[in-house]
Amino acid sequence: MRLLVVVFLGAALAASANAQTGKTAGDATKRVSLANETVGREPKVFAPMVGSWVITKDAGQNVLFIDGRVWKRGQPAGGLADKARELYGARNEEFIESIKAFAYYPIAVYKGVDNFENGEISVRFQMVGGTLDRCAGILFDVKPNGDYLTVRYNGTEDNVVLWTFNNGVRKFVNRAATTVPLELGTWHTLKISVHGTQLKSWLDDQPMHDYTLPHPVSGKIGVWSKTDSMIEFADFTVTPASK
Amino acid sequence: MMRTAHFAACAALIAIPAVAIAQAQKTTRNPTPRAKLAPACTWKPSDAWVKRQAEFFAEAKHDWTNDSLRTALLAAAGLTAPLKAPVQLGVHVEGADAAPPASAAAMIDALNKLAATRGSTWPTRSVVGAAGTHAVFVLASLDTGLGRAALHRMMEAGPAESPAADVATLEDRLRLAWGRKQIYGTQFRRGADGKIELAPMEDSAHADLRREDAGLPPFKFGLCLATRGGS
Repeated sequence: MRLLVVVFLGAALAASANAQTGKTAGDATKRVSLANETVGREPKVFAPMVGSWVITKDAGQNVLFIDGRVWKRGQPAGGLADKARELYGARNEEFIESIKAFAYYPIAVYKGVDNFENGEISVRFQMVGGTLDRCAGILFDVKPNGDYLTVRYNGTEDNVVLWTFNNGVRKFVNRAATTVPLELGTWHTLKISVHGTQLKSWLDDQPMHDYTLPHPVSGKIGVWSKTDSMIEFADFTVTPASK
Repeated sequence: MMRTAHFAACAALIAIPAVAIAQAQKTTRNPTPRAKLAPACTWKPSDAWVKRQAEFFAEAKHDWTNDSLRTALLAAAGLTAPLKAPVQLGVHVEGADAAPPASAAAMIDALNKLAATRGSTWPTRSVVGAAGTHAVFVLASLDTGLGRAALHRMMEAGPAESPAADVATLEDRLRLAWGRKQIYGTQFRRGADGKIELAPMEDSAHADLRREDAGLPPFKFGLCLATRGGS
């Protein structure tokens, strides 16, 4: 009995210490395995919040697939951006930003980390298709109200960009200076590191961002995409760290 | 007359066997091919990609806002509305383009200026109708500079406002112009031996997935039309 109390107190103290240092319990790297997932079904280790996320096979391995074709079939009437320009002229960008709130950004939240504050997140991705977008992103700082940050690569623009989403509105934050054309059907790695307010990102080990965020990061993590993108994700890896 | 005009426009952009064009223009009334085509070269009105294009190019509601711009676009592209699905077969052979109408250059100029004007209203489906958007595609295919701007605007407008098959075909064409590989497999060229061959392409393994997404026919259909067809 005494032993149990000691163990309990030890765990509580460790949790308290971690809370003070911002250290997430269990500093070990977590590489998310999809081996036990069922092909053709939604993933169990990720919670698909928006979009049609299914497990599929690539070269014999289970991968997470966002299928943007589903979005296209259910696409509501468009043309709002053009109408905004007609209505608001020079101020249309502001309106279009609001309109973008209705655009479609598939996200799947990883269930294995409750609160990511510092450390590294990486994911391998392969662009398969998408007429409008071919976006693969890392989702982080996901708040209960749905606000979040994402660093994404877009194969229609060949760039890596940091975006914020607040109250459903997407806002551009920072674009990496380098553009990198990637071939469809080839695997690449997107990685971010967060230490306090310092955010860095890499595409295939090539530095992309070195940016100071206005606030420290704290929230859930996952993968992100956009509109009709068809992307395969694999080897989602998170390494929590102290600051 | 209508069929002739549209035939000319199609032939200018998609150098495919005449019999396949003729089949395309017969539309849903008579899906039976009039001449012998390889099976892979035929299509049915019930094919998903044909239905999708038919849905997009249906203009019975007349729900666009700028008739004069639409008329000018159609004239410049050598098209006569309404266009009957399938409008975009996604087969283009380099160097097989017919000379564009004389008015094309002025319209390309006007569209380039429009594209350069921040906040300008781009001719999407709600502005110039589906046929008008296809005319934009025809003109954008003739000018790499306009093509880039048009592709961006068409992508931005989304699939309800821009024909996805046109967006995909235009992107392939521009990628090749920029020295990259195409991704949908819509672009062909003549090899040194004079035979028509597929222009360089990325990730052919997922080509049909992309083509389905874009409302294009299966890859083997395009390949058949471009390389064998009914000739």
